[in-house]
Amino acid sequence: MSALVLISVLGVAVLYLGIFGRKVILAPVAIIGLLAAIALLASGWHIHHPLLEGMLRFDRLATGFGIGMAAITVLVFLFGPDYYARKEWHVAEQYALMLFSLVGGLLMASYTNLLMLFLGYEVLSIPLYVLAGGKKRSLRSSEASLKYFLLGSFATAFMLMGIALLYSLTGSFDTGKLAAYMAAHAAPNMMLNFGLLFVVLGLAFKAGIVPFHFWKPDVYQGAPTLVTTFMATVVLMAAIAGFYRFIDATGMPHALATVLALLVLATLLVGNVIALRQTNFKRLMAYSSISHSGFLLLALLTDTGFAEGHGAAVGGTLLYYTFTYSLATTGLFILFTIAKRANQGAEHNGIFKGLWHAQPWLALCALALLLSLAGIPLTAGFIAKYQVFLLAIGAGWLKVMLFGVLMALLGIYYYIMVARELFAPAEQPVTFAVAPLNWAVVTLCTLAVLALGVWPHLPGL
Amino acid sequence: MLYLFYLLAAVSILSAVTVVAARSPITSVIALIVCFLSIAGHYILLNAQFLAMVHVIVYTGAILILMLFVIMLLNMNQLVEQRKPLLVRIAAVATGGLFFLVLLAATHQGLSVAPAHFDAGIGLVHTIGTVLFRDYLVPFEVSSVLFLAAMAGAMVLAKKDGTEHVNLPPSSEPGQNA
Repeated sequence: MSALVLISVLGVAVLYLGIFGRKVILAPVAIIGLLAAIALLASGWHIHHPLLEGMLRFDRLATGFGIGMAAITVLVFLFGPDYYARKEWHVAEQYALMLFSLVGGLLMASYTNLLMLFLGYEVLSIPLYVLAGGKKRSLRSSEASLKYFLLGSFATAFMLMGIALLYSLTGSFDTGKLAAYMAAHAAPNMMLNFGLLFVVLGLAFKAGIVPFHFWKPDVYQGAPTLVTTFMATVVLMAAIAGFYRFIDATGMPHALATVLALLVLATLLVGNVIALRQTNFKRLMAYSSISHSGFLLLALLTDTGFAEGHGAAVGGTLLYYTFTYSLATTGLFILFTIAKRANQGAEHNGIFKGLWHAQPWLALCALALLLSLAGIPLTAGFIAKYQVFLLAIGAGWLKVMLFGVLMALLGIYYYIMVARELFAPAEQPVTFAVAPLNWAVVTLCTLAVLALGVWPHLPGL
Repeated sequence: MLYLFYLLAAVSILSAVTVVAARSPITSVIALIVCFLSIAGHYILLNAQFLAMVHVIVYTGAILILMLFVIMLLNMNQLVEQRKPLLVRIAAVATGGLFFLVLLAATHQGLSVAPAHFDAGIGLVHTIGTVLFRDYLVPFEVSSVLFLAAMAGAMVLAKKDGTEHVNLPPSSEPGQNA
């Protein structure tokens, strides 16, 4: 609770600093504030404030997701000073909007009330609509902003309709009351199923589950790279955390579990197959993100059909998966920005050519991060996927799991395609300008991914 | 009381018909304001003070004034009969008809409230304030963060930022960064 207040106030403070201060101090202030928020979260996970009763619950999972999201935001902000070095206008607002969005993410990780889910979803999304349009001169950026806004509003409307249907059944927004109602009325119920389905649709949109994924490539490509990084990492974590809370609280009737299984199959297939043909790196990362959403949804699927609290292992796996995925993605997008600058703003996969000859260490980092996304052993990505498959076997989703393994193997191909470019010689000599801070963040991400891959129990999850 | 209801009902229906039938958009909007005010009167008759006030402030105060501004800024006050395509008109009639059907289905068995179980004070400002600031205090405060973010975002989108006069071709994507 105090972390929520701190981050909200921090957003306002950064807005004010933008008026009075110089933009050099924005990122340090935001980062120090976020570190304080992480400390508050880590120290206070047993605190139950009476005002929060029935609205938010900061249990272990919410705290873990909260710390993860705040930590990734810190990494994104460390990338900020270099990224915004040549931007003169609205830099403070960019940081502040990301902080507000993070508040929404924390709410989505901790709600026990559908009203808070809706508010968290909106607080998460509305700053993103603006941030995606951050490059005002770029048509692609404006397209991304408008597309995200229209589709996002549509998804929100669906979710609100679902919440209204559930409220009309139970007379309460509380997820506990909803679970009690479902336990008492076991017979199939159209209104209940549609209510649950609509809420799931809203959450699936934010996570980029096929068939609600169409915004993802365009928005990832159009948005400024720093915002894309934020969306691919923190927002995905928030969406998955909110998704998990909803499924864990309700348990989902059997009919909806089948729907979710179909969504898993579609997401894995579309994400991986279409990624094979992408030449733009940002779009490739978007489809990679879709395929990872598919694996995450597979883990969520194993939590269906049980009463609340069953899925502690699922929650831990989701946190581990999204956090390590976010680490790898953050590092790769920073490397992408470095390579894009060296190639006069080109975005195709070939911009990584010559990195091995110019910056051997960064090329090795990029290789490790790509292999982690692909799920090669000794990286965190492998442990994450392995845990998801174990969960799926344990819950009896064997066929879906086998399809997932197949798609994971297919996915290795396009990551290797990018990795091959790293070691190819450049056609003409390119110089990669690397800011020391960026080098440090990329190194940190790589070491963290490798360390978590070798010792998965490092953070005590 | 009953006469007041008939008076308000007559005003609402007449002004609603004027909204649709009037040729000038300005007349339509002003009739809509009258319609909304008379509906607010209905709310007061139903002992729903809070709803009446919010109705006046939000609909009459904010939305309709905004519409008036749009009409005046776009200079739409000429008497222009706009011809809509046939498909749009059919769609509009079908939508309206469906809505009417839903209302009919919802009310054809009668909307009866047992007076013994009905709390007449449910719409009073005091009751709503107690619920809002005790049971729903956290969502109430969180929505302030939402509005703050939305306002900051609107400022970012709308404010001049010194770059927009540089008309560069969009394909080159120079951007301020990378």
